[in-house]
Amino acid sequence: MNKKGTILLLSGDLDKALAAFIIATGFAALGVEMKMWFMIFGHNCLKKRKRLFARRRTDPTREGLYRDLATDNILQPMVEMMNRGGAEHLPLSQLNLMGLGPVLFAKMLKKKNIPHLEELIHSADELGVKFYICQICCDALGLSVDDLIVPNVEIKGVSTYMKDTMDAHVNLVF
Amino acid sequence: MAANRMVDVMGKVCPLPLITLAKEVRTMQKGQMMSIVGDDPIFEDSVIDFCREGGHELVDTQREGKKVTIMFQV
Repeated sequence: MNKKGTILLLSGDLDKALAAFIIATGFAALGVEMKMWFMIFGHNCLKKRKRLFARRRTDPTREGLYRDLATDNILQPMVEMMNRGGAEHLPLSQLNLMGLGPVLFAKMLKKKNIPHLEELIHSADELGVKFYICQICCDALGLSVDDLIVPNVEIKGVSTYMKDTMDAHVNLVF
Repeated sequence: MAANRMVDVMGKVCPLPLITLAKEVRTMQKGQMMSIVGDDPIFEDSVIDFCREGGHELVDTQREGKKVTIMFQV
């Protein structure tokens, strides 16, 4: 039987996302079938970085498939503005230093030849790691799948997560 | 024995050698020889684990200071 693993990323912090993706790519390279789940702020690393006042275009024919657009209000665009994400713009959980921390951290990674998060996300995608985002998080935070840096991200619920984790040999939560 | 494919991961750190290795091995056929050279301190362990997981046979390991060259059969 093939070895399988799942990773659940809840945190929007750079250090945790980096650890999750280093483990995911490493395991996938060693032949483990990996599935990554993103909940709450975990999906921030997959978001395309937009301008602060970027106009948000909602395509009901696509987004309506996994979101309830009728219950959207002012909070969804507000969250979008405050929580722009972007793999290279995540904060650190320690020593964030009001945004200086991630800049120094990126310099340190570059000097040490360690890949940064965006490169790891693309590597994970190429190695066949599957990405899933929680449907209620998408709905509540107003996330569009078209705004992500990787294609082939699926929107699923807890039943699929249960099936995948029960099938897997290991489940990591960050 | 000559290698069918030479891969150089000098200067790359964990997990990049593994990622490169996995991508290269996918494009090769069973029975072909792969030679990989790297200088990461945990490079040798990584490649040995990779071979054991994938069922590849280690053929040769050469060490020159930090530089390690490993040959295995895909």
